[in-house]
Amino acid sequence: MKYLSRIFWVAVGCTFLFPLYWMITMSLKSKSEAYSNPFGIPQSWRWDSFGEALSKYHYFTYLENSLIYTVGTIVITLTTGSMLAYCLSRMQWKFNTSMLFYVSMGLIVPIEVVVIPLFQLIKFLHLKNSYLGLILPYSGFAIASCVLMLYAFLRSLPKELEEAACIDGTNVYQAFFKIIFPIIMPALVTQCVLIFIRIWNEFPLAFIVASRDQFRPLTVGLLSFFVNVGVSDWGLIGATMFLSSLPMIIVYMVGNEKIENALTAGAILK
Amino acid sequence: MVKASKVMGTVLLTGTLLVSAACGNGNESASNQPSDSTTPAASMESSAGNVESASNEEKIKMRVITITTDENRNNIMEKFIKPNIASAFPNLEVEFEPGGGGEDMANKLKTLNSSGDMPDVFWNDAGYFTPLKSTGSILDLTSHITTDGFLGKYSVPDALKHVDGKIYSLSSGADTYFTPVIFYHKDMFEQAGVKVPTTFDELIQISKTLKSKDMVPAVTPGKDGWGPKLFMLQQMIQIGDPQAMSDLVSNKTDFNNPSVKAGVARIEQLAKEGVFPDGIANLDYGPAMEMFTSKRAAMLWMFTWELPNLAKDESVDFFPFPSASDKYDPTQNVQFWGSPLNGYAVSAKTKHPEEAVKLAEYLAMADALYFESTGAPISLNTGNEASERSPLMQKFVDWYNPIPNKIASLALNSLDARTSAEMSSQGANLLTGEYSTDKFIAAMGKIWSENTWFDN
Amino acid sequence: MNKYFSTKTSIFVFASPALLLFTVFCVYPLLPEIWMSLQKHDGFRSMGFVGLDNYRDVIASPSFWTAHKNTYLIVGISLLLGIPLSMMLALFMEVQTPKLRRFFKSAAMFPAILSVTVVSQIWLAFYEPNWGLFNSILKSIGLESWTHSWLTEKKTVMPSIGLVFLWQYIGLNAMLFYTGIKTIPKSYYEAALIDGANFVQVCLRITIPLLQNVIKYVLILSTLGSMAFYSHVRVMTAGGPGDTSRTVVYQMYYTAFDTSEFGKGTAIAVIFIVECLLISFLIQRFIARDKLEF
Repeated sequence: MKYLSRIFWVAVGCTFLFPLYWMITMSLKSKSEAYSNPFGIPQSWRWDSFGEALSKYHYFTYLENSLIYTVGTIVITLTTGSMLAYCLSRMQWKFNTSMLFYVSMGLIVPIEVVVIPLFQLIKFLHLKNSYLGLILPYSGFAIASCVLMLYAFLRSLPKELEEAACIDGTNVYQAFFKIIFPIIMPALVTQCVLIFIRIWNEFPLAFIVASRDQFRPLTVGLLSFFVNVGVSDWGLIGATMFLSSLPMIIVYMVGNEKIENALTAGAILK
Repeated sequence: MVKASKVMGTVLLTGTLLVSAACGNGNESASNQPSDSTTPAASMESSAGNVESASNEEKIKMRVITITTDENRNNIMEKFIKPNIASAFPNLEVEFEPGGGGEDMANKLKTLNSSGDMPDVFWNDAGYFTPLKSTGSILDLTSHITTDGFLGKYSVPDALKHVDGKIYSLSSGADTYFTPVIFYHKDMFEQAGVKVPTTFDELIQISKTLKSKDMVPAVTPGKDGWGPKLFMLQQMIQIGDPQAMSDLVSNKTDFNNPSVKAGVARIEQLAKEGVFPDGIANLDYGPAMEMFTSKRAAMLWMFTWELPNLAKDESVDFFPFPSASDKYDPTQNVQFWGSPLNGYAVSAKTKHPEEAVKLAEYLAMADALYFESTGAPISLNTGNEASERSPLMQKFVDWYNPIPNKIASLALNSLDARTSAEMSSQGANLLTGEYSTDKFIAAMGKIWSENTWFDN
Repeated sequence: MNKYFSTKTSIFVFASPALLLFTVFCVYPLLPEIWMSLQKHDGFRSMGFVGLDNYRDVIASPSFWTAHKNTYLIVGISLLLGIPLSMMLALFMEVQTPKLRRFFKSAAMFPAILSVTVVSQIWLAFYEPNWGLFNSILKSIGLESWTHSWLTEKKTVMPSIGLVFLWQYIGLNAMLFYTGIKTIPKSYYEAALIDGANFVQVCLRITIPLLQNVIKYVLILSTLGSMAFYSHVRVMTAGGPGDTSRTVVYQMYYTAFDTSEFGKGTAIAVIFIVECLLISFLIQRFIARDKLEF
């Protein structure tokens, strides 16, 4: 029984890693081998798919865009979100409870269902052909979970923290950035990870808003590329998929332990 | 906590590194891609002066959205448009935005139109023409192209006119020569010992034989009902009764017509008899083409726009859809693709209509030059001598041109957006072989009765 | 000290940026959406106010109910299969040798960090009926009769797509559970083991009750995430064949964009938002009761 379950879970664990194996082997196969031997180890190793992918697929443009969207959203959401959470948890404002409820509604509305009015809004604000056209809506949608989590975290902190600062004569802004900000860092990192995963792979809004090639993130670029290639040259597709996933894989490999710690920090708060 | 800030640092650092790496290589790769913006060549060649001298003026910005899905379109863009556009229009800064194709393209233009963000020049299509027209977003080109003489370059100028008598789109005229046929591999047929079928029953028979020899008899793109909507339904109806098909396109009959029903039943039969491979209802255009070119499928049901590409393989030949009754003769009736609406159109809201029309004319001419170079027949006169045609193309032209009764495409000339979308879904259902003719007829009958295409 | 910090200016400075962003981009778009759902609208212009007609038409359409069935199937799969499985994986990881645990930790979240486009593309190749992985395996072990055209048969298409979703997020949830388990003080277990409880009893009596907060979080995340299920369907089957694999969000897009009926499309969106509100209310009310301190 014990061994059975171990075998089962190890097999499942292997399937988690299978895509990595598959993307890499696929990109090394010739067009005909991709069909005759779709899942085995390639008979001959052809690296030219990567060269072709890099020349045909505007990889670095898309990569840069994805990074700008992700980092931009993280910076804006964490800054504004932590400030609001601080306000709601520590300041005496008569709307604290109602505002918390108001913001928590944001957890419920999926971005997918408001794409149409959102697009018109972005157009109206003249944000369409700029990075902010995606960063601001992404931030708006990420704020809810960020605020709620940080709120819970801040509530668990002792009040004495700022009292000391208060005696020192620091003002509220200094207190927040010098004292509170470093303390809530674990929660911020957790949020950072969650937002990163979410925004890096966001598709529906980016597909409509980032219409120009120069503003496309990897997800949208990848799909248009598949459509253009016609999903028949699997070698090329394997190579582009691998290249597109590479940044995430690197971040994940480097920060694996740390991401886990961040999740732990998050788990305590929930 | 110290650990956590390290994570933050690592993540940000990795991010920054990747950004800088991206910037470093980005410039490099941008220069060898055909870039979206104008090239330095534009300013260098502007002295040559083509239309107007624009040395001191600010360049006029033009935004163009075209379909970018099939190989023909990409070839036209990369080989005929992008290398020459700068020298042809030194006064313009033309930005090409890829539009995708099919529903993506339609959704994109609809969204842009609803937010007043239409490009100056775009590829028009029957699928989204009505909403563009009703919002006054599409320019009537008649007076412009009559004055500058472009209209005179068409061998049949009337073919450009929409039913309201106005001209909205400029095309190479290659469209009217597109018709669905059955491509096949001669050697695979020989190997299986089958002959080109002349009747529908023979088609089923040879498919069974091919299947018994472990070959996939036929493929066509089935995902989202592409094949059924664009030609299969029409073909299966008209091989039994061409008149009923003509009537359906012009709304003189509906889905209760027994001939229409018989056509639908033929698709159900094809699906159930295993003429198509498993999973045909989710088979995309690219993989369908791949299955045929890699000789895993013996037949490909496809429009003749793929003929120049397929003719490169000596073993490929084609035959018209075989007959299912004596009312149909493939030398007397054929479906043609063209719609006067397909082609380059100009936004009525453009700030520079003159330049935009010229640009649309240029793009239509690039289409014509491309199709001419593949040996495909076109109706826009490029001023070149016609190039040599491949034997297969010659065979096609010899068959197609004399056919007296050319029936317009149902998909392009009779469906509003909703009917079109629903027909896609219903068509895909039929291909699964799990959906009955009666269900299809009942569903389509209702949708057809709500079709608004013929209302205005 | 709170008074000292809580001046009107400081409240304004701290609260307004986030509230503004949230209101403008997350809440405001709901208003035009509701307004549009009350009109006959083709995405470009309104063709008149029609009251609740769109809602009536939408509810009368069989595709709307197919989409609901599919969406709740996905919700069901991720709650009834996904959460127990990821909990089991987390508990399993906890008792493994460090080596195996490290392997799982690195593998588990991997699918979740891949983009939906990539994941869907890979599974398309698995499900491909002629040369795909599943049918090849079934054929090679002599189970030819078990092969299916996975993504085009009515019975198999939704479970097949559901499996992809399950597979992609099981590891992420397991990691959330696992990190929660790690925070439970070891003394709790020791006490239980002295009482002679076995592993399963420990899990049921100690671990799972103490993980209540994490479970609640994962529950909400999974429910809302699977409600909005859309991108996989788009890439893998485009909702097909026919309307067989459309989810509610897909049906909304289809109605608004494909059939140009924005009034009806936004009506679906409004109904859907109400459903999401209701469901999260139910979760809050019945499942996430009082907090547990430890």
